[in-house]
Amino acid sequence: MKKQTAKHRKTTSQKHRPATSKTPRAPEVKLIGEPMMVERMEPAMVIQWPRTLVHHHTYGLLTPFFEGLKKGVLRATKCPTPGCEPGFWLPPRADCPDCHARMEWVELPNPVIGEIFTFTRVEYPGFGIELSYPYYQIDVKIPGCCTIMKGYLIRGEAKIGMKVKAGFRTRKPTNTILDLYWEPLE
Amino acid sequence: MIKFKPGNLRVPQFQRPVYVVAGGTTDYRKTYPEYKLEELCMMAFRMLLEENDLKLPPLEVKGLINMACYGEFADHFQDQLLCEAKVHDYLGLDPLPNVGIKTGGATGGYTTLVGANMVASGYANCVLVMGWERMDEVDTRTGNYYISTAACKDFETRLARMYAAYYAPMARRFAHIFKVKEEVRAAIAVKNKGYAYYSPFAQQPAKLTVEEVLKGRIACDPLRMHECCAMSVGAAAVLLCDEETAYKLTDHPMKLYIAGGTHTLRVADRRNMEIPLLPHETPGMYDWVEKELKEPYPGFQSFLASRFAAYMAYRMAGIKKEPCEEFDLVELHDAFTISDLQTYGDIGLRPYGKEEEYITSGDAYYGGRCPSNLSGGLLGTMHAVGATGIFQCVECFWQLQGKYDKFHGTERMWTRYGKTKPADWKSLQIPRRRRALWISHAGVGSHVTCGILVNPEEVKE
Repeated sequence: MKKQTAKHRKTTSQKHRPATSKTPRAPEVKLIGEPMMVERMEPAMVIQWPRTLVHHHTYGLLTPFFEGLKKGVLRATKCPTPGCEPGFWLPPRADCPDCHARMEWVELPNPVIGEIFTFTRVEYPGFGIELSYPYYQIDVKIPGCCTIMKGYLIRGEAKIGMKVKAGFRTRKPTNTILDLYWEPLE
Repeated sequence: MIKFKPGNLRVPQFQRPVYVVAGGTTDYRKTYPEYKLEELCMMAFRMLLEENDLKLPPLEVKGLINMACYGEFADHFQDQLLCEAKVHDYLGLDPLPNVGIKTGGATGGYTTLVGANMVASGYANCVLVMGWERMDEVDTRTGNYYISTAACKDFETRLARMYAAYYAPMARRFAHIFKVKEEVRAAIAVKNKGYAYYSPFAQQPAKLTVEEVLKGRIACDPLRMHECCAMSVGAAAVLLCDEETAYKLTDHPMKLYIAGGTHTLRVADRRNMEIPLLPHETPGMYDWVEKELKEPYPGFQSFLASRFAAYMAYRMAGIKKEPCEEFDLVELHDAFTISDLQTYGDIGLRPYGKEEEYITSGDAYYGGRCPSNLSGGLLGTMHAVGATGIFQCVECFWQLQGKYDKFHGTERMWTRYGKTKPADWKSLQIPRRRRALWISHAGVGSHVTCGILVNPEEVKE
């Protein structure tokens, strides 16, 4: 630290001396980015502004859930506090919103069977969609679950009340919620 | 199950009354390359200062401002953090304090709520509340993806990347349990886009028929494109004051009450609960929902956040009777036809289960008992998200002041935006001007505010 301060002082005092041939010249700053493309000039100048980036997103305490999907199991959480919410949570949460206790993991035995509570046929998805479309996005009621989880139907036609079975993308998993899908119970 | 304890249900109280004294807006467009965002904000600010018949010159009014509250939904649309600082400086308001508020689609409502509390608490006597959105830097599908990040990114966003896909399942369940025909939703689109026809600010005015809506392209079944609002660019503003300042500026200020509510971002996580009752509702009237219908509440059919906001706001403002009797205008958050329809029950325009009657009875139309979205709403006029809940407030304010025609019917208002006033333009000025209500709504009901404007010249409190 001390050495750096001394160096800094020297630099500061040098600033006021006239430049000599011995003073190292700062290199000219070069453009290392790409020029932006002008898209239009009327009614005002509009340029293209590309934007690509990677986020480092954690699944935190829900890691066992996403790990489970790759192994072909659906893991939910349940509050251990007596008298608290008796059902299990899907999507899981690590902490109970009612009593704040750390929840416990429950592995649902396969086959996990649920019922379509409601659904939509997605015909116009947004940019970056990873599923071929149109497809059915479904909300699935699972016995014992205090919530109704959203998912997608991998084949067949959705109907309210239809029984569906959980399936898992264990080969070439995406490491996202898309590793869980539902198929008609035949 | 969500259970309330007594402290949770305390009714909010302002320490002193709050008034709206002026409003301003831009028009709304899908793309607006002519102006930068801060230039659009200046446009709304100038209208607020210069065109509201205030008793002081514009710069004298500006000289009374001591706080600004700014609403913007999404930084990533413009790729600009702290846009509030740019706007605040551009409006020439430095070094007054300002605060940015973000609650999704309800940003405008919550920005108004925060501004109201600045006045009510005595922190400020005169607050600028402004909201905006610039959604035209990206194409529509990218915009849809951005908006869908306002669903849970771990469990929902990837399942559509499109917000209509989170409302469509609610539309299907609502129709399934209450046996509501698609024509009712279509009628809402026809009505609101039809009212937008009379507004110079409107982005998507249209004279449509129910058949045309139903034959239109599907976004996410059963919702058609005509049932979904568009992305907008624009800004809106209101000026909030304490009583003394309000009457210094105008003889016709409108008293403001506003309360908020929330619920989970994931519809999946809604747990069954008792229905909180509005003042005019009676205990036991909804027993049938659980016993006969066997449907959870709020389930996929209702919005707890809207019900909670109305529960509080009605008690704040002394609304005791049926809302259709108490209000002369409502401006609802019709981002989708279904969200509009669901809200009728939440705020008591009809009891739960009978929402469609608000439309089929004619109450919702101009000339009806309590018309809704005469501004053209989100479906017809705008959804520049951060501005929306403020724009709705402005429209309610001008209606209560009797200035619908001034702001919608004068030729110069149309030519200002490069438009021609329709030859068959008609006034949608409400004849009774007692109270107006507006709902600002986010997510699948994650945040909602219920704002109420009361005309002190018509209502003795």
